[in-house]
Amino acid sequence: MDSGRIRFFLSEVGRNFTRNLVMQLTAIGTVTVTIVLLGSFLFTRLTFGAIGNDVLQKIEISVFLADTATPAQAKALAATLERDPRVRSVQYVPKAEGLREMRDRLRGQIDTSLLTTNPLPDALRVRLVDPTHANDVAAFARKQPLVANVEYAQDSVQELLRISDVVGRIGLVIIALLVFTAAIIISNTIRLTVFARRREIAIMQLVGASSTYIRMPFIFEGLLDGVLGAAIAVALLAIAHAQLWPRLVAALPFIPLHSATIDGLTFALQLLGVGALVGIVASWLSVGRYLRT
Amino acid sequence: MISLRGVSLVYPNGTRALDAIDLEIAKGSFVFLVGHSGTGKSSLLRLLYREQVPTRGEVIVDATRVDRLRRSKVAQLRRNVGVVFQDFKLLSDKTVWENVAFALQVTGARTKDVMRQVPRVLDLVGLAHKSRMFPSELSGGEQQRTAIARALVNNPKILLCDEPTGNLDPSNTNEIMDLLHRINLKGTTVLIATHNAIVVDRMRRRVIRLEDGKIVADEERGYYLAAGGDRPLLVAEELEPIRSRNGLGTNPLFSE
Repeated sequence: MDSGRIRFFLSEVGRNFTRNLVMQLTAIGTVTVTIVLLGSFLFTRLTFGAIGNDVLQKIEISVFLADTATPAQAKALAATLERDPRVRSVQYVPKAEGLREMRDRLRGQIDTSLLTTNPLPDALRVRLVDPTHANDVAAFARKQPLVANVEYAQDSVQELLRISDVVGRIGLVIIALLVFTAAIIISNTIRLTVFARRREIAIMQLVGASSTYIRMPFIFEGLLDGVLGAAIAVALLAIAHAQLWPRLVAALPFIPLHSATIDGLTFALQLLGVGALVGIVASWLSVGRYLRT
Repeated sequence: MISLRGVSLVYPNGTRALDAIDLEIAKGSFVFLVGHSGTGKSSLLRLLYREQVPTRGEVIVDATRVDRLRRSKVAQLRRNVGVVFQDFKLLSDKTVWENVAFALQVTGARTKDVMRQVPRVLDLVGLAHKSRMFPSELSGGEQQRTAIARALVNNPKILLCDEPTGNLDPSNTNEIMDLLHRINLKGTTVLIATHNAIVVDRMRRRVIRLEDGKIVADEERGYYLAAGGDRPLLVAEELEPIRSRNGLGTNPLFSE
């Protein structure tokens, strides 16, 4: 493609774009609002997900052994559990070590020096590949010989899983609605441009322009709407994040927000990609409908 | 060059626009298509550049079955068939040069070819000196010459004209007919649908007469009216659409 052809193409796009500037700004604004909402939502979800995962990953099943169990038997049981594909790792904690850990954990809160005998049984700490399997693995462990008791944070695991599932579903619906709205508005904008240029389109068809060629400036216009809208949204989100995030982390020390690190560049590119895609698809559909008739 | 075999065209509302048309037009010929309004002249032209597909029959243009042409091939056909209309169909926000260049640019032509072809056709239609003007600054005849230049810029083998002088006064009409004649002499096949008895009778070329979608006369060196015709040159219902289109009280053809 020579420079003259590129210039002609860009001038056609420019003509389309400026013909109905108000409508164009509306489309860009809608994309901006959509992407800001989408971005905030995804960010919240990612953060929530990261925190949830962090908590879930730490969930472990404590398998307490009977007093009669020897260290060899305990290790044999640990090996059995470890062979289960749902199990990530099994750690054998003899009663002496358990006590030492407890003393460490409670130091400064409770005077553990008063404890003269070791009340703890030997235990196995089981971590899981997928926390949803907590129930099954616990039941399996309970059936093993020499197991006195099995404990794990069953309710909190299930509650967390349920919430993150519900939030995920609602999120998908909201995102779909938002993207759909943006697509409709871009599509209408492009249709107005197509309508305003129907004489030119008719002449293009008459003199033998291919439909791809006729389509291209309109697709580009939609792409421009989508990308510009998304770019503004990304800028707004970046500013908001820079301003609010440190304060949020400082204000909520008991929530492990620091564990929720998100790759900002990838995230921005993904949002720009969504904007571009919405613009292209919306304009492709509205021009296609016109050119078919 | 153009061949219609058993062509019928029935519109969805049931109107039969063309009825079993058989027609051969040789390469390089100059042909008038005459008849009342609504006898199918424009419909016939539309079949040739694939604006319309016949209900029945074969339409062959330059050895191509146009009626069976795939949508993706239509663009290629139209680069081979220039079309000129009564209302010029120029883009008002583009200059003469841009209007003509547009037809090349949208086919993806190289800039080099645009720079070579546009001056050539503007020279041919005698508008080289007005290439920077907008359509609104031109006379009707000049606008039609711009439209003809646009139709020719892709070097089509066939030029179709649907009432090319319908909006023009007699002197502009003569200008346009001279131009079309010169274009024909360069080898382009020219097919003109017209109401204008004066130009038909002056040119004395092949005249095909349509009535109710049928060919009722086809004469070499013919007249607007076939021998023995007894109707006036234009009847009232033919004048009316011309008047209203022009926004004029009288038919410009006969204002002289």
